[in-house]
Amino acid sequence: MGLQIRGIEKIYPDFRLELDFQVRQGELLILLGPSGCGKTTTLRLIAGFIDPDTGSLAMDGHRIDTLAAHRRRIGIVFQDYALFPHLNVRDNIGFGLRMQHWSPGDSRRRIQELLHLVSLEGYAKRKVTRLSGGEQQRIALARALAPQPRLLLLDEPLSALDAKLRKNLRIEIRRIQRELGVTTLYVTHDQEEALVLGDRIAVMREGHIEQIDTPERIYNRPANLFVGTFLGQANLLRGRLVRRLGSPDGEMASVDTSIGSLQARWPVPGPAGAAPAIGREVTLFFRPEHCSVDRQGSGKTRSSNRISARVVRKEYLGSHQLVEVEAQGEYLTLDLAQQKPLSGDGTVTFSVDPSNICLFPGR
Amino acid sequence: MLFVLLLAPAAFLLLFFYFPLGSVLVGGLTDRSGRFSLAVITSLLGDPYYLRIIGFTVWQAILSTLLSVLMGLPGAYLLARYDFRGKRLIQALTTVPFVLPSIIVVLGFVRFFGNNGILNRFLMSLFGLSEPPLRILYSLQAILLAHAFYNFPVVVRIVSSLWRRIHPSTEEAARSLGAHGLRLFWRVTLPQILPALLSAAALVFIFCLLSFAIVLVLGGGPRYTTLEVEVYRLAKVSLDLKTGSALALVGAMISLLFLYAYIKLQQRSSFAERMTEEVERPRLGSMLGSLRGVVYLLYLLFMALVILAPMITVVAYSFQLRSGWGQQAISLEWYRRILSGGPYLRAVANSLFFACMTMLLSLPLGTILAYVGARSRFAGGRVVEAVMMLPIGISSIILGLGYLKAYQQLPWRIVGSWYAIVFAHTVIAYPFVIRVASATFRKIKSSLAEAASSLGAGPWRLFWYLELPLARSALITGAAFAFGISVGEINASLMLYNERLITIPVMVYRLIGSYNFIGACAMGSVLMLFCFLAFLIIDRAGGEVG
Repeated sequence: MGLQIRGIEKIYPDFRLELDFQVRQGELLILLGPSGCGKTTTLRLIAGFIDPDTGSLAMDGHRIDTLAAHRRRIGIVFQDYALFPHLNVRDNIGFGLRMQHWSPGDSRRRIQELLHLVSLEGYAKRKVTRLSGGEQQRIALARALAPQPRLLLLDEPLSALDAKLRKNLRIEIRRIQRELGVTTLYVTHDQEEALVLGDRIAVMREGHIEQIDTPERIYNRPANLFVGTFLGQANLLRGRLVRRLGSPDGEMASVDTSIGSLQARWPVPGPAGAAPAIGREVTLFFRPEHCSVDRQGSGKTRSSNRISARVVRKEYLGSHQLVEVEAQGEYLTLDLAQQKPLSGDGTVTFSVDPSNICLFPGR
Repeated sequence: MLFVLLLAPAAFLLLFFYFPLGSVLVGGLTDRSGRFSLAVITSLLGDPYYLRIIGFTVWQAILSTLLSVLMGLPGAYLLARYDFRGKRLIQALTTVPFVLPSIIVVLGFVRFFGNNGILNRFLMSLFGLSEPPLRILYSLQAILLAHAFYNFPVVVRIVSSLWRRIHPSTEEAARSLGAHGLRLFWRVTLPQILPALLSAAALVFIFCLLSFAIVLVLGGGPRYTTLEVEVYRLAKVSLDLKTGSALALVGAMISLLFLYAYIKLQQRSSFAERMTEEVERPRLGSMLGSLRGVVYLLYLLFMALVILAPMITVVAYSFQLRSGWGQQAISLEWYRRILSGGPYLRAVANSLFFACMTMLLSLPLGTILAYVGARSRFAGGRVVEAVMMLPIGISSIILGLGYLKAYQQLPWRIVGSWYAIVFAHTVIAYPFVIRVASATFRKIKSSLAEAASSLGAGPWRLFWYLELPLARSALITGAAFAFGISVGEINASLMLYNERLITIPVMVYRLIGSYNFIGACAMGSVLMLFCFLAFLIIDRAGGEVG
């Protein structure tokens, strides 16, 4: 059920798109990636505006890639809204209903329903050119949803709006999507939007999907360095893998780095690559907020990953502070939430739980 | 699907444009026995009489163009850089050359500058002269002045529309670097407006090259004859269709050459459009204390006068009682005569009928071609576009000649029927429909079409419910153009008419020929009324021209 994308390929002179994934029934899947990674092309392939070179698309078990765009019953919300300027709000929402030959009565009721859903009752007779950006976006959403599409596609729907409106609207999009349970594919390059909105996130890079998983796992267990550094801030340390250890928390790896020996979670071999070999170059990855400062006199002895460093810079951000530190020529960032002020001598000792350190092969 | 759409227009053009054109081609390139031969053309090109005509045709067009550019450039500057009361009106007036029939310009010119015209009568009464002091008519000057007066608004319109979009900041930067006056214009402003200036000049040049009625009447004889007029004379007076065809070919080569240059220039001009936001422009009203402001104002007045003078002259004269001296009685005599039936009313009815039919034919024709042109992405699109736009580069005299030649042998009598004139008018008018329509179709954002498509609209409903409504005002403009062009068309009409099929412009021409100026002005006023209606619609709908 949902949307199956199987073996889709589209080859351009300077770009190659390869897709094989699924949007599950009723979920909101985020397609996240830097600009030019092929997100929008993916959307347009699914919508039927571009034909793939190979592969198939199936919706609820039925192939749709053989259908023309106007027969696929896919609702789309465009980045520039694409509201029909010659029609008012009601006729914009009713356009799809008219194409599907709804009766005038049903059509009127459905339009009212949608106006209510996007909280714009009373806007029916307005000209779309007179609406604000946020209102236009809601109407665009209502228009896409009106003919009860089997799949909803949103192409960076909030990118043209200002930050505050963006936050409000994404909550609303989430609510509406949940309420209707419509299978949804949402393209964005905004990582915060992705984390907040997505049931799952697919991170794209140069025409293929790097990882597809829940926001928590994408953030905390990135499949590779690209995914890890694309979302959120990260500390990277190069080193050499020296040992594999057993521990109560599972398999651990011991890595020699310029700031000493650190322990990290033994990586689960991904589908693409085998586990790293002992003696190889590896990169350790951990988030600034996973660093906890050892307080003076606290008897924390369990942690093996203790790092002493010199404070280089502090950035006070209100609810938390970012501290840049230096140890043996390596620069790291700590995100310290509501902690006591650091000691006066300009040094800090902190530790990182090995289970929060990811290990990636290579550098 | 796009190819299926093309079938009807292609068939129409094949039958009523390419077939007649081909017969002119064959006529010019064969000898009397029908074999292929360049003899007719080479003997033509060796004949000093025809060489002089070719030379004169190009020469008068060059001079007319220069004069138009010189007259139009200041106007373009004022419209681009200043705001003033009545600006909207002046801008609207620059559309006039596109809708005012040339025969009205001729008539107004004769009535204003003629030996018995307003200017001479005014000068005679002022200085107590017994002879008209200005004898301009039937000379090169008359042709040049009429061309310049007729066409300089084209320069104003095209150049100012680009000039307006060039941000003044480049000039301000240049000024801060020490450039001013002519150097500033030459080094900074001119290079930026040059694409528009060249494309306006090329357009005016083509208009003057193909100008017919103005040369026919104001040139007044073989000394000042151009290719168009000579082809007409050969076809209708000497009845020598063969020489006419050969000469027409030479003319077509020349005009197509310049049309190609014009299209190339237009493509360049599109790169220069950059300013999107509106800047505040100084108001002319606050400058009236300075000499500069007064000069600007005088120019604007002059410009309005030159555009309006022929029209006002024609309307005013139409109410005179009798041609002659000193009698100023106002009368509706001629309007009574027109309304009482007979040939005058028939001309009016014919013109209206032809214009409506032309509109009905050229609107779907132009719309389909514009749509296919805007939507097709195949490599041959350019070729198709060129084939469809070719009629712009073929003068209507040649078209008329083609009709006379091509349909001679057919069992089906086309020449001498109303549809010959309607088809000819349609061929002349539909490129204008294409112009306005394709600009609009291209402007429709692709996301709109995709949105409609994702909502279930197939190609036909996409067109019907989205693209057609969005192009509505452009299509209204196109229809009004087609109407205006047909109602004022004289060249092909003159080639193809007979007593039963006479139109208003042809009637005006014949009345001028018999020195019946009041009658000519009355008919001319009726003609202008129709053109004015077309103009109002164009101005209201706001489609872009030129």
